Amino acid sequence: MASEAQPLSSAAAQDISRAKKLQLLGILSGFTAGAWLGAAEAPTKLVSIGISPIAISLIMVMGVFLARWSLPALILGTSSVRADVRRAPHLIIWAILAGCLWAVANTLTVFAIRDIGLSIAFPLWNSNSLLGILWGFLFFNELRQAGWRRWTGVLGGALIMCAGATLLAVASSTQGPTGHSFRGVWAALGAGVLWGTMYIPYRKAYLTGMNPLSFVTFFTFGELGMMSALAIGYTGVTPLWQELISARGVIFWLMLGGFIWVIGDLFQQYAAKYVGISRGIPLSNSNQLWGLLWGIFVFGELHGRSSSTYAQVIGGSLLMMLGVGAVAFSSASGEEQTHWKEAAQREGRRYGVAADYVEARMDGRQAAGESAPSRSVWDWLLVAAATAIFVVFASMARVPQLSLNLVPAALLTTALLVLLFICTLALWRTTRFH
Amino acid sequence: MESTNNPKARSSRWSSVLTDVHFWVPVAVLIAGLFLLSFTH
Repeated sequence: MASEAQPLSSAAAQDISRAKKLQLLGILSGFTAGAWLGAAEAPTKLVSIGISPIAISLIMVMGVFLARWSLPALILGTSSVRADVRRAPHLIIWAILAGCLWAVANTLTVFAIRDIGLSIAFPLWNSNSLLGILWGFLFFNELRQAGWRRWTGVLGGALIMCAGATLLAVASSTQGPTGHSFRGVWAALGAGVLWGTMYIPYRKAYLTGMNPLSFVTFFTFGELGMMSALAIGYTGVTPLWQELISARGVIFWLMLGGFIWVIGDLFQQYAAKYVGISRGIPLSNSNQLWGLLWGIFVFGELHGRSSSTYAQVIGGSLLMMLGVGAVAFSSASGEEQTHWKEAAQREGRRYGVAADYVEARMDGRQAAGESAPSRSVWDWLLVAAATAIFVVFASMARVPQLSLNLVPAALLTTALLVLLFICTLALWRTTRFH
Repeated sequence: MESTNNPKARSSRWSSVLTDVHFWVPVAVLIAGLFLLSFTH
């Protein structure tokens, strides 16, 4: 009996150790996502130099499109994407739908920044985490049998975040740069609802086994298609083209913003995969703090404001971060993870996806019999083409007429690169990017 | 074990999507978002 029980308990211990490792990886991915997503908002400051928000959004999405194909091709190769799609083709619909949600939300954020400023708009649309918790619980068995401590952590954290968001909304009522603070608040909150709901397709894809790198390649058709439709619908083809031509000096910076966004979003996808959306979204919403750092120290955004406004913005942000921390330290228990697996099995049954594939991918590994990902000459051509497009626009770029503080910018960039290195290494060692 | 090569599963994929509440919630939010965008714009 003892000799039979020994290997079983050893396997169980390995499972627990693996689950803990994946949880930590998800938390690290969430924080890294926050840093990169926060940095990506900085180029939208170009709104103030006369380019329409729609054109800015479209140009950013062009950069996003290039990054969402070239990065997966570089990391795993497009053969891996094709293999994933053959196993779960229905997820293409979800990916495109999520991309449409992203595009509309992103456009709303540009209007929100225009009307109420980056420092205020950020925490408002970051209320998407509350919605993510709701969807995660309702649809994907998150927080089931989680115990009172974890419920307190997640719900308490969410309530603290609400208090912080309220404080920031109050501050916004006196800070609308163009006198449209009410409209800006609605735009930011609407973006939060769209982004919070966008995580339904994310979670669905990862519970069904799709690799985050595969998901984003189809996601981007939704975002580019929707963004192009919005831009043409609101602006018209000829005026839009003329605006793009006249904006060629800043296209590179906006596309770079889109590229940085994709790096953050990739880590966010891994966070959603390994800690679920109820925890992954609040973690990646630490981008609010990074956005605040960029806004205040690099762009001097709150310069000249009253001390009470500073107190409201900083106090509100700290409250939100406290809430994020509470959520982060409420990682999923074994019982809760069993419920996650049940949700994954349900998805597999509904859409006819092989159970061993779903199980292996949830565990961050390849399924038995799956061929190792490899890059072909087409992948390298794809990467080269994307790079060439960036180089062409970089050669046309001029430095925007904005007052920047370079030392804080250099420090923040260094922090980004350190986080990128650490998290990429951890993902590679633990999951080989699965 | 289930397989994606199952013709029955393949043929019912669309109906599975269209009867899935996880599909209609994002669709409804997307439509509401487009209305909000037209108001904001």
